[in-house]
Amino acid sequence: MRLMRRRFIMFCILAATGACNSHDGPPVVAANVVVTAPAPGMPMAAGYLDISNHSGTSIHITRVSSPDYEAVEMHETVVEDDVARMRAIPVLEIEDGGTVVFERGGKHLMLMRPAGTPETITLNFYSDEELLLSVSAEFTAPMD
Amino acid sequence: MQTRNLIAALVLGTAIAAGLALALRNAGETAAPLTATILPAGNELPDFALLDQDGAPVDRSVFVGQWDVVFFGFTNCPDVCPATMTVLGQAKRELEALGQDPLPRVVLVSVDPERDTPEAMARYIGYFGNGNLGLTGELEEISKLTDALGIFFQKAGTEDGIYGVDHSTVVLVIDLQGRFKALFSAPHRVENLVHDLPLIMAGE
Repeated sequence: MRLMRRRFIMFCILAATGACNSHDGPPVVAANVVVTAPAPGMPMAAGYLDISNHSGTSIHITRVSSPDYEAVEMHETVVEDDVARMRAIPVLEIEDGGTVVFERGGKHLMLMRPAGTPETITLNFYSDEELLLSVSAEFTAPMD
Repeated sequence: MQTRNLIAALVLGTAIAAGLALALRNAGETAAPLTATILPAGNELPDFALLDQDGAPVDRSVFVGQWDVVFFGFTNCPDVCPATMTVLGQAKRELEALGQDPLPRVVLVSVDPERDTPEAMARYIGYFGNGNLGLTGELEEISKLTDALGIFFQKAGTEDGIYGVDHSTVVLVIDLQGRFKALFSAPHRVENLVHDLPLIMAGE
């Protein structure tokens, strides 16, 4: 799957968190970006990625937006006693030096109501009004 | 000298062959499912009246005549359901490549009949492979099936009014007679299904 992920167009726009950056490179970095293609006619897609914080301070992701979808929410699937429950994540904190993993069956981005028929999906991660990270990925099949 | 080497090779070869045969026989005797729970006696399904993905009415007899692997989910589910349907489809393809006969049918029963019309089910299940079955219908009729099988589901709202559905993640196996025969708990892995399903179906 990692090899397949490399096929995806991915780029990170540098995020000025305003804090000291002791890391050689952008302060907030994405990896393994995957947006699974929805079944035909379905208004929902899911996004997965790893977000690493090298900004020198904790960051708080308060919202995610996309020009390609009307709404994007951070969710977490929790499976307990063989029951899957999906809950919204209002604010996601990533400590300095930490990495948060969005993966199938766990944290994920729920992309709702596509604006047109996008082929490449851009996702923007904000702390309030401050853009922390921007990534883009092509759709992939659910198991790639 | 050559004769002695030949005899030694023959003895060694025979020993290896015997060892392999014994290992294979023992493997056959001790074959056990990796993750599936098999019910000693299959449980009868309740009566229900639902619609398939073509809008045709079906009852419990739809489960008679083939093995089924059944998941309860919904088409607007972004995470668990497509992942599970993909695993089931991939497992079926791998079983087919291995020559498994019979092959199970993949079935999705909707726990969101409000949005899951037969048309939506047809689009959805077709995306995950050929020959799949999708069932939807009145909530009361779906509940007859889920209650009897111990399947939980419940609507869960999100902030902007778009709702999700909390639901069981188990995959059930229904036998040729339409009886609940085995179940797999999440997380679902292709390799576990490929290993266990032939054992379950051989026990018929």
